[in-house]
Amino acid sequence: MLLVSTQFAALAANQCKVLGMPALPRVVLPHPIGGTPLESVLAKVDDAFEQIVAGLTTPLPAEEAADAADVADAEAQPGIDIAGEDPFMQVQEEFVARGWGDGLPLVPPTETRVRQMIAGSGWPGGHVVGAVMPRMGLASIEKIAVNAVMAGCRPMHMPLLVTAVQAMIDPDFFLKSIQATTHPVSPLMIVGGPLAQSLGVHGGSGMYGPGPWSNGVLGRALRLILINIGGGRPVEVDRSTQGSPAKYTYCIAENEAASPWPPLRADHGFGDEVSTVMLYAGESPHNINDAESTSAGSLIAAIAQSMAQIGQNNVKGTSQLLLVLSPEHAATIAAGGYTKDDVRRAIYEEARIPLSRFPAIHVERRLARFAPKRYKDRPLSTMVTLTSCWEDVIVMVAGGPGKHSSYLPSFGAVRSQIRPVLKPDGEPWLAQDVPAQDTRYHPDKEQT
Amino acid sequence: MKVLSPQARRVTTQVSAVARPKTLDSLRIGLLDNTKAPVDRIMAHLARRLADRAAGVSTRYVSKLKTSIPAGPAIMADLRRDCDVLITALGD
Repeated sequence: MLLVSTQFAALAANQCKVLGMPALPRVVLPHPIGGTPLESVLAKVDDAFEQIVAGLTTPLPAEEAADAADVADAEAQPGIDIAGEDPFMQVQEEFVARGWGDGLPLVPPTETRVRQMIAGSGWPGGHVVGAVMPRMGLASIEKIAVNAVMAGCRPMHMPLLVTAVQAMIDPDFFLKSIQATTHPVSPLMIVGGPLAQSLGVHGGSGMYGPGPWSNGVLGRALRLILINIGGGRPVEVDRSTQGSPAKYTYCIAENEAASPWPPLRADHGFGDEVSTVMLYAGESPHNINDAESTSAGSLIAAIAQSMAQIGQNNVKGTSQLLLVLSPEHAATIAAGGYTKDDVRRAIYEEARIPLSRFPAIHVERRLARFAPKRYKDRPLSTMVTLTSCWEDVIVMVAGGPGKHSSYLPSFGAVRSQIRPVLKPDGEPWLAQDVPAQDTRYHPDKEQT
Repeated sequence: MKVLSPQARRVTTQVSAVARPKTLDSLRIGLLDNTKAPVDRIMAHLARRLADRAAGVSTRYVSKLKTSIPAGPAIMADLRRDCDVLITALGD
């Protein structure tokens, strides 16, 4: 049986249904539970004690053994016929009423647009990439395409989006946790290789957005897939306490041309011609400004100290972290003779927090409880690391001129995933396989 | 104009429930901590209350190793072997 607070009862019911246990006994305690005096929490448990006993000893209603017929419910809805004077606006209203969007205007997924989008993937519409947690919705090419249309993607974007879904459903990405946590985590889609440029995925100035390049629609399509196929509806399943602007859209390219080091895809063994999509479960970017340092040592120290904050989940030592260096910061560090691995090691060594900076209850209940060997009964000078090893520090280069880099903490033991962008025959999608980029407007052109 | 649904069919899962015990007497009760504060203390409290409630009740407390991911097959196998029923928690 499950204990759950009132604010999480709907999520519990949802998960019981998805996991095939709709009648699993649930005892609902008044929220909040965490961060309240222990006496009041235990009083709530005492008040519910008879329910708990009953939950353990009462025969389940017949519905537990019932079939899962409701899975074929409205979830496989065939679509909607739209009539009226302003079909575009009517689509907005109908989709909002069904909880199908993100609050922004949606491109109506007509059969023609979806058919064109499917064609851009190279796959048949019925091909299923996998199940998207936590709802376990089946991400067929057709359903990916519907969401891509709604987000404003064009058919040429489909190879990247299909690759992102392939990466996202890897069990080690723990998408179920990412979708339901109270933490403001969102999958960041990082595109590398020749397709980034040919498909207009921007890694230069302002790459997090806004901008008229492909980043916005790709990240938005992935979010709509999370909501509509994965069931990560805000409040209902996505229990993020405050949400995040990164949950609207979160997609960048690596600025490989401006990096002094090999790109992420090379770190993972992919060749020059192979484009990749990496997914990293991150918070919104935390800015790190340093226009003063002229040496690698000074700059790394400033960056590491900026990262060393006690409220982040990384202090539990189970997460990866992502440092996105601006090209100018990267150049300063590389001029000091640092390889990328040197930077990763240095960040691991220097981005640490002494136990003395944590409130005592954090040390006892947050650190020593989960890592007793490192933090239980240790001197207050003991340093807390942000990852368990230097290999969990991910470093990449993106952005344009200026002295701003960014740190993206993660939220838990999820592992980033990188995948090559491949055609159905297993060969890489190449730049010449996609339509030539529309160069009438491009931010780099504006700068030159 | 016809527009298509962005939602999809989902994988169906069917779990067969074991018969519930009629009484707490001699029941082996697993207490799985989801690591959220203060579930460890709630489970310890429940262990005392349940032991006081019926004869021969035994409890086994286990905590997930990491908050953000499931308990894992090893923990669940141990609980299946050693417990008749399980109480766990979800969410904050």
